[in-house]
Amino acid sequence: MAEHLLEVKNLKKYFKVPAGENHAVDDITFTLDAGKTIGVVGESGCGKSTLGRTIIHLQNATDGKVFLNGEDVTNVSGHKLRQVREKMQIVFQDPYSSLNPRQRIETTVIEPMMNSKRFRTHKQAREEANRLMDLVGVDYRLRQAYPHELDGGRRQRVGIARALALNPQFIVCDEPVSALDVSIQAQVLNLLMDLQDSMGLAYMFVTHDLSVVKHISDDIMVMYLGQMVEKCDKNELFSNNLHPYTKALLSAIPSTDIFSPMQRVELKGEITSAINPKPGCRFAPRCPYATDACLEPQTLRELAPNHFVSCCRAEEIN
Amino acid sequence: MAKDIKRVSAQQRKDYMRVYGNRKKSSLHDTYAEKADKPFLEVKDLEVIYTSNKQIVKAVNGVSFQLKRGESLALVGETGAGKTTICRSILRILADPPAKMTGGDIWMDGVNLTDLSEEEMLEVRGAKIAMIFQDPMTALNPSMQVGKQIIEGLMLHNDYTPAQAEERAKEMFEMVGIAPNRMVEYPFEFSGGMKQRVVIAMALACNPVVLLADEPTTALDVTIQAQVMDLIRELRNKLNTAMVLVTHDLGVVAQNCDNVAIVYSGQIIEYGSKESIFLHPTHPYTIGLFGALPNMNDNSERLTPIAGTMPDPTRLPDGCAFAPRCPHATDACRTGVIPEKEIAPGHKIRCIMRDKEA
Ligand SMILES: Nc1ncnc2c1ncn2[C@@H]1O[C@H](COP(=O)(O)OP(=O)(O)OP(=O)(O)O)[C@@H](O)[C@H]1O
Ligand SMILES: Nc1ncnc2c1ncn2[C@@H]1O[C@H](COP(=O)(O)OP(=O)(O)OP(=O)(O)O)[C@@H](O)[C@H]1O
Ligand SMILES: [Mg+2]
Ligand SMILES: [Mg+2]
Repeated sequence: MAEHLLEVKNLKKYFKVPAGENHAVDDITFTLDAGKTIGVVGESGCGKSTLGRTIIHLQNATDGKVFLNGEDVTNVSGHKLRQVREKMQIVFQDPYSSLNPRQRIETTVIEPMMNSKRFRTHKQAREEANRLMDLVGVDYRLRQAYPHELDGGRRQRVGIARALALNPQFIVCDEPVSALDVSIQAQVLNLLMDLQDSMGLAYMFVTHDLSVVKHISDDIMVMYLGQMVEKCDKNELFSNNLHPYTKALLSAIPSTDIFSPMQRVELKGEITSAINPKPGCRFAPRCPYATDACLEPQTLRELAPNHFVSCCRAEEIN
Repeated sequence: MAKDIKRVSAQQRKDYMRVYGNRKKSSLHDTYAEKADKPFLEVKDLEVIYTSNKQIVKAVNGVSFQLKRGESLALVGETGAGKTTICRSILRILADPPAKMTGGDIWMDGVNLTDLSEEEMLEVRGAKIAMIFQDPMTALNPSMQVGKQIIEGLMLHNDYTPAQAEERAKEMFEMVGIAPNRMVEYPFEFSGGMKQRVVIAMALACNPVVLLADEPTTALDVTIQAQVMDLIRELRNKLNTAMVLVTHDLGVVAQNCDNVAIVYSGQIIEYGSKESIFLHPTHPYTIGLFGALPNMNDNSERLTPIAGTMPDPTRLPDGCAFAPRCPHATDACRTGVIPEKEIAPGHKIRCIMRDKEA
């Protein structure tokens, strides 16, 4: 079996809360190769950010494994963790709070380089930082500025330059464009795709914008309350989706066509959480197709090559 | 620790009052009903600057618009164009310094809000005008259970008993798609979009007659977004609430707004009904915006952003602020003030090149 850049195996992250245990990420398994992008979509609160943060070890996993280049990096610490961090980076949604307001732009990019000890002198680090800022398009005159002097698009470029500073192989992009207007969004997406082509980067791309996820991804994973409910090639997801939640999600994309009324699948039924979840399908309480069989534990099945779905009624309803 | 929390709460309480006001009765809503045809909210020639590092950032440069009861206006525009600043000016919660409103008036129901004292503004905020903030942590108390925060808002603005308020808060949680068993958690335990939904519920709990919604759904998936927009629509139908909706999502605009204002460098450069903007976008910037959208039905590799970047707001160029990026610009575009012209009934643009063609 060929080695994957990233392999996530049965990853779990549970949080203790007053009402019990929140299964924020529950048994997620997938692989990602160099130069590829996996898009992650799903209901707000379904665990996308937690999944990204747990993979790159900003939080400890409750259970499960993460392999990077075939090596188990789930529980590394100290020096080893620092090495792993260099390979796995994150770009946050919010370009406002994720940059230190008291730090000049250039320093923000140089700091992780100096911390990593990859560069022996400040001068070397500075040269590299300037190369990266040329690459992502942060104007020369802004490099001595502070974050508040930059608009959202430029801040997001700084966030990307910082993520690139350590020459990573994998970047979690957690809603990197949702605060941006559509023109700057287009610039940033083009930039991310160019960097992927030239550096072979792999991305996990979290977004609520389904046209963006379709544009940038290879495969797309759909999550619902901590679990993966469907995963397949991006075109397959839009043309031949199988899970009822995926159908509801895609039906709710607000159309820019002002004359065609939307045919949204409205979700009714009890709103549940992933706190002490029952064993059956977590979407069942709101699913228009649910039967008693859905109260049994569901398994993720590969119904067509590389098309995984977790719904016992997938064949019947499609 | 306990003391800390108390102190935070006192400060937060002050912020809350500043944002959501102190009116208990909501009886004032019905008195407006007869004047349905007149503009209810009118922003006139608004100008706002920020002073930063001794430089002057010209954030809003002469913005005017009107809203009738029940109407909704979308503010769409480039990151940093001044949309949030416009909303905060209406509520009069700009931080001065660094911000200063250097010109203009804000009329609501025949009252010029810029003439009111801070005490009088407290009566207006929340009960009449509520704002959903772009950054949810502006409006959330980090050390208070999220459920309690909504209950508090409900009790402040409605004649509910504590039990009724709790029941209503549960309903509101479900309506924004959060299971009620999560009401006892604190903001840090919520995802970004969940915090945003709590803030929306708090703003709606005030029963406002004007709602300023600053990117209320950017952190939400499309199903929850649709649910939240339904909830807002329900409130607006019930109270005939006027809404200013700031968003980058043209789909949300198409589905929820009557009129659209395209903002660039602190000016409205195109204004019209939803139909005129979507069917006949005319200003080159507006056309560029529509062109930059990723298209669901086309698999092309690259997107088409508008060339160039927004002008430095400390050094705005003469003439049209978009001219340096505009494919149609001529020398005439680079001098003087570009006037607003009506190119079709209710459809106005600031562009001397395109207003001739049309
Ligand atoms: N630090 C924490 N402590 C307790 N619970 C948490 C914590 N962080 C996240 N959670 C919970 O874990 C679940 C997943 O949260 P997460 O932030 O990963 O969602 P998300 O899919 O990124 O949502 P959004 O689209 O709104 O950003 C949620 O129920 C959230 O309340
Ligand atoms: N506190 C501040 N100090 C200095 N400049 C500021 C401050 N707040 C805002 N600005 C500047 O004012 C201008 C308008 O900002 P505003 O936040 O109103 O834009 P916006 O249209 O809401 O943008 P976005 O879409 O990114 O939210 C920007 O150039 C911004 O950099
Ligand atoms: Mg998230
Ligand atoms: Mg804003």
